[in-house]
Amino acid sequence: MTGARIFFVGGLMSYRALFGWLSPWIFIPTFLVAPIFQILLFVYIGRSAGVESDKFYVIGNALQYCAIPCIFAMSNTIAGERYQKTLGYILATPAGRLPLFLGRSLPVIGNGVFASAFALSAGGAIVGIHVPASSIASIALVIVVTSASCTSLGLVSAALGLRVRETATLNNIVFGLLLVFCGVNVPLSELPGWMSFIAQGFPLTHGIEAARRLANGQSFGSVGGLIGAEALIGAAYALLGYQLLRLLEWQGRRLATLETA
Amino acid sequence: MTPVPRAVVEVRDLRRTYRTSTGVFRRRSVEIEAVRGVSFEIGEGELFGLLGPNGAGKTTTIKMLITLLIPTSGTARVLGLDVVKDSREVRKRIGYVFGGERGLYERLSALDNLRYFAELYAVPPREQKPRIEALLELVGLKGREKERVEGYSRGMRQRLHIARGILHDPPVVFLDEPTIGVDPVGARELRATIASLAEAGKTVLLTTHYMFEADSLCDRIAVINKGEIVAEGTPRDLKSIVADKTVVEIETFGIAEETIEKLRNAPGVASISIEERDQAQVLLVQSAKGLELTQTLLAMLEGTTVGRVAAREPTLEDAYVALVDTAA
Amino acid sequence: MSAVRLLAIGWVLHFKMLSRSSFNSVLGVVYPLFFATVAFFLFREGSPHALLYASLGASVMGIWSATSTAAGGALQRERWHGTLELLVAAPAHFSLVMLPVTLAMSTIGIYSMAATLLWGRLVFGISLHIAHPLLFCLAVPVTIVSIGMCGFLLAVSFVRYRTAWALGNLLEYPVWLICGFLVPLSLFPGWVRPISWLLAPTWGMRAIREAAIGGSALPDIGMCAGLGAAYTLIGVLVVGRLLHSARARATLSLT
Repeated sequence: MTGARIFFVGGLMSYRALFGWLSPWIFIPTFLVAPIFQILLFVYIGRSAGVESDKFYVIGNALQYCAIPCIFAMSNTIAGERYQKTLGYILATPAGRLPLFLGRSLPVIGNGVFASAFALSAGGAIVGIHVPASSIASIALVIVVTSASCTSLGLVSAALGLRVRETATLNNIVFGLLLVFCGVNVPLSELPGWMSFIAQGFPLTHGIEAARRLANGQSFGSVGGLIGAEALIGAAYALLGYQLLRLLEWQGRRLATLETA
Repeated sequence: MTPVPRAVVEVRDLRRTYRTSTGVFRRRSVEIEAVRGVSFEIGEGELFGLLGPNGAGKTTTIKMLITLLIPTSGTARVLGLDVVKDSREVRKRIGYVFGGERGLYERLSALDNLRYFAELYAVPPREQKPRIEALLELVGLKGREKERVEGYSRGMRQRLHIARGILHDPPVVFLDEPTIGVDPVGARELRATIASLAEAGKTVLLTTHYMFEADSLCDRIAVINKGEIVAEGTPRDLKSIVADKTVVEIETFGIAEETIEKLRNAPGVASISIEERDQAQVLLVQSAKGLELTQTLLAMLEGTTVGRVAAREPTLEDAYVALVDTAA
Repeated sequence: MSAVRLLAIGWVLHFKMLSRSSFNSVLGVVYPLFFATVAFFLFREGSPHALLYASLGASVMGIWSATSTAAGGALQRERWHGTLELLVAAPAHFSLVMLPVTLAMSTIGIYSMAATLLWGRLVFGISLHIAHPLLFCLAVPVTIVSIGMCGFLLAVSFVRYRTAWALGNLLEYPVWLICGFLVPLSLFPGWVRPISWLLAPTWGMRAIREAAIGGSALPDIGMCAGLGAAYTLIGVLVVGRLLHSARARATLSLT
């Protein structure tokens, strides 16, 4: 995850990032190895503190790891253009903003799904957790929905990229907030009331809960509400991101802040 | 027996090739000969110019001399020390300044940048303060030295580079296109600083692609093109290459490529170069002195809009063009 | 003598630069706090002793983060600034030039350490009684210096990889995991322990804990310092070969 932290530092990386992710030197450490270590870290901290089960941490961290590609890559669709000084050209085109940016989100969601699915299967195998075979298809669906909702949050960050330069710092803080609030490692019931209340409004929270229940053998029907909530939250962020994009683009044209690399 | 005065910089048949690979899936390795057998000498206290177009091998040559690149073959000595075998001793005795905005710590002040390099060059602690003071004075940054470099203009950065390059009072200074990208007034100040280095008795190697700069500053010039030295001598020597020539300047508008080729092959034409000026292309046609070509040329230019036409004496720039053009 | 001066001044100036970058200073302090917070929630159910254990462990995590995420790309960063060539062209030994850079990186981690201890105190009420203040004041700088030396080895070994930053980041979690910051080594399979023993942060962590909670920190301090010195020695040996190859292959000025 910290992979992502430095990933966008110094601008240079954001320049290469759009295409650079696919380099094996980045992809393997950032998307295959780091999530496994994040899972192991919390599994062992959990064992050391003697609280939740291994399965709890494997699922929580595997799902949360999709936030790395989803938030960072999505927000980079703007930050990267900005760095390459191509943002102005893109925004000068008559292309509709909705397809323009939503189109960019599809590969990002795919990347997120891959990262989470790999982390879940490899991490699960290393730690040795058992998931009922009947739940695998529904967990896969949860991963897709969760990646999509995290990407929506990334769209909000992307829109802020029209206004602020330090989206890398912002994204890292968002990643940290998700780690603490969304029940990734600490059950919502253990958090202070105000924190678990805020968590209801974040992506991930409901998805992780749904995946945990499915992994414990509950039926798809019983978690339908959670999946629906996750999808709804994702849609809300997508809408917010889109509106913010239009608003900040308009403001940027008015205040002439778009070209200021 | 009196010792033979040695050259401060001796370069013998220096070569350097680069290997680059292209392609993502099927990598091909390509060898580029950047410097192909360069030899020259610079005497003590001399201001020597290495003149050439972009990509001629100037920077590669300088980087071998300052120990940053190992030559593919050939030798180079600075103050009698081999740049590969005695690199550390060479480094102590030389200063290096390159043009452009990079090479400074942006988040530090000029003073801190200089303090850092004073340490790297082992300037004795007691001498550091007065030395830095004097240099800030010399390059005109006194009073701004505590500001962070990120707020500096191009010219200020370049002057800071010079101060950094001579912090340890090296007897030999290498300047790689130091005035590049600096505005005309700033560049003139920089040239004055460079001249003062030579006056202080330092041996200076300067690379540039500005003719007038080489003309006004250098004692001797070597013209380098495509990795080879094509001429060497004083500015006066080089001008004499074209002393028996005359130059006709013809202003044209929208001249066709074929027409230029036709002119180039016309009898009596030694070389042609083109300068873009606003909408006009100015043809600089060199020919032997006494040969009255103007009418012939104008006849050949029928169908092309022609503006001002003038014949003049050749300059160092024409000599340079002739050299680089013949070598092409 | 002049070597010591060079180390000191290099360290001061690079520390100055790092503190002036919002990324290194602000995020470097805030980011480990998220992990510390999670750890505090998890250990809260245990004894107060467990919380103190977690607080000390989390505080050292930031020192490692500050170093591992930055050191791998340290030389690459000098390249972008166009300063790598100037540093190489200087007569000072290149190790004396690079070591202060990575030492400054680990020193920046002290902000994170202080912030984590303070956060634990203010938000989770973890009081910090230090049993041996003198040993604690020795253990912390020794740990910082050894981690910085480890960063030096990383910096010189990764110089050929343009994506060194990704590799450097990759090392953040494993060291957090196996150096005993939040997980006792006894929980790991046997083959992990020798790896932990080769890592200076393991001993630095032990030294800091023993100094704070009570115990004999000195042997651990010695091990930590010894490993740091060993890393530096290897780094110095690597550096010479590396620079020669860079000069032969003309890779000093590539960005």
